[in-house]
Amino acid sequence: MYSNLEKTPRHLLVCEKSNFKNEKSRHGIHVENHYFNYRVSVLIPECGALPAGLSTIGSSFGKYYLVKNLPVYEIVEQQFLDLCVKKGSFYALSYNTRIDQDNSAALIPAGKLILSVDKDTYEELGLEGQQSQYSHKAVMRHIITIDLTDASFAPGTKKYKRVIWALKEKKPLACDFLMAWHPSGEGDFSLSSYFAKYQCKEHTPSVSTKILRDIPSPVISGGELKGKPEESCDSQEFLDWLGAASADIDCNNEASSFLSTYCCPEPSVVMGQACLWTVTGFLLPEKIYMLLEQLRHYFDEPKLAHWTTLTVHGFADSPVSWGVAEHGFHKGGENLYNFVIFRNHDYWLQMAVGTQDGCPP
Amino acid sequence: MTDYIFYIFLDMAVEYFAGTIPDCIHSMRRHDTKKPETASYERLVFRNASDYHYMKISLIFEGGNIRLNAAHFKQLIISSLRELYGEIGAALPFDVLKFEENTLSAVLRVYSSALVRLWSALTLLGCYQGQPCGIRVVQVTPFLLALSGNSRELKLD
Repeated sequence: MYSNLEKTPRHLLVCEKSNFKNEKSRHGIHVENHYFNYRVSVLIPECGALPAGLSTIGSSFGKYYLVKNLPVYEIVEQQFLDLCVKKGSFYALSYNTRIDQDNSAALIPAGKLILSVDKDTYEELGLEGQQSQYSHKAVMRHIITIDLTDASFAPGTKKYKRVIWALKEKKPLACDFLMAWHPSGEGDFSLSSYFAKYQCKEHTPSVSTKILRDIPSPVISGGELKGKPEESCDSQEFLDWLGAASADIDCNNEASSFLSTYCCPEPSVVMGQACLWTVTGFLLPEKIYMLLEQLRHYFDEPKLAHWTTLTVHGFADSPVSWGVAEHGFHKGGENLYNFVIFRNHDYWLQMAVGTQDGCPP
Repeated sequence: MTDYIFYIFLDMAVEYFAGTIPDCIHSMRRHDTKKPETASYERLVFRNASDYHYMKISLIFEGGNIRLNAAHFKQLIISSLRELYGEIGAALPFDVLKFEENTLSAVLRVYSSALVRLWSALTLLGCYQGQPCGIRVVQVTPFLLALSGNSRELKLD
């Protein structure tokens, strides 16, 4: 009777296992290509205080800026490209725009501007783009990708003039932007002074630390991604448990309990204490990679913990997930990844995406 | 005799430094320096792997300062399921993983096959003890970890 009601939209989970010392390990590429990161969490078992190295990195995460009502053509003009985009990694993402309803824009460090626009805006703008991969019979969303570093986009060329004319005069697009810049060398460029004529405010990522006490945790083994009966849990069970630990959900319920029957996957051990450290803001992949390297070296000295985790949540309203892969929001906009780092430099990498996302790389 | 033993150890020391150590000591050294096994590369892709969906919801009253505990909250949802789907619907298993009395917000867990029925019952939930109320669904996801990082909560002034 309810067979049609039992269907849910598809979601994907990719679990990879490798070792950091492996030459072909792609952990760096996965971190680097996930451009727009909202929250990073680190869970360290059997740890009562945040390690000094982590707090140093937390304070060095760098500022980001919120520029209100910025016309999109301002980040496309040649002067800005020469001063900023070509001299480092520049990240910009429209703030407070919903990818499934509003027009969104993003600028990725490869120098590509990605506009995700609705049907009316696409027709008025007059720039070449593609239909959204997740359109059904009626195409409601289009994606326009402009490579700003391409030779055909040099100032004076037809393409450059058309793009500037479309964004400045034909259909002026403006939105609030979150932006951050990671220079590749020495530079004295400042985003706040360049966008001084707009409302540009500097923000610092917020940091919080929480100590969890007496929580059951699953036993896992770096070499056994699928787990081993009676010996270790599999990666999916671990990911669910990590979600419960991060959300402060009780894992000690009886099967006959009225409220909740959720319990920690078996086999499990009880952790006396664990440190959960979270950074929230507009976070750059370069800093996340530094954090990952720091966590790798956490086990250089003997520690009680057998593993630590690094979880990164992407922006739900970003037009891209990894690289230039289109990202959408169906019933949820999850595009997150989680590293589980073991003592012997083995790692698990779990990448989870929702319905309107391609398979993670 | 002691000189003879001394010369044996001296001989072993010379061989060691010359690179040709006796077999028994060589095998001990090999055992001591045996590197731990490292994981080989493996990649698994799961499609619709999660049996459960998780919902972050909040109960909003039109007016009045109404307080209820987690058990009352679950009973309210069960009564809404009963109203919409009958006794079979009321028997739908779901968990209230977390309930905050101050904000009347909760995290629910339900089987993926029952998500639509639960969500529709939450949508049509209209009153509690005569007081008009409604459920706002903040987030729905098949990954519990995703509830800890919802970028739509980012509010910058």
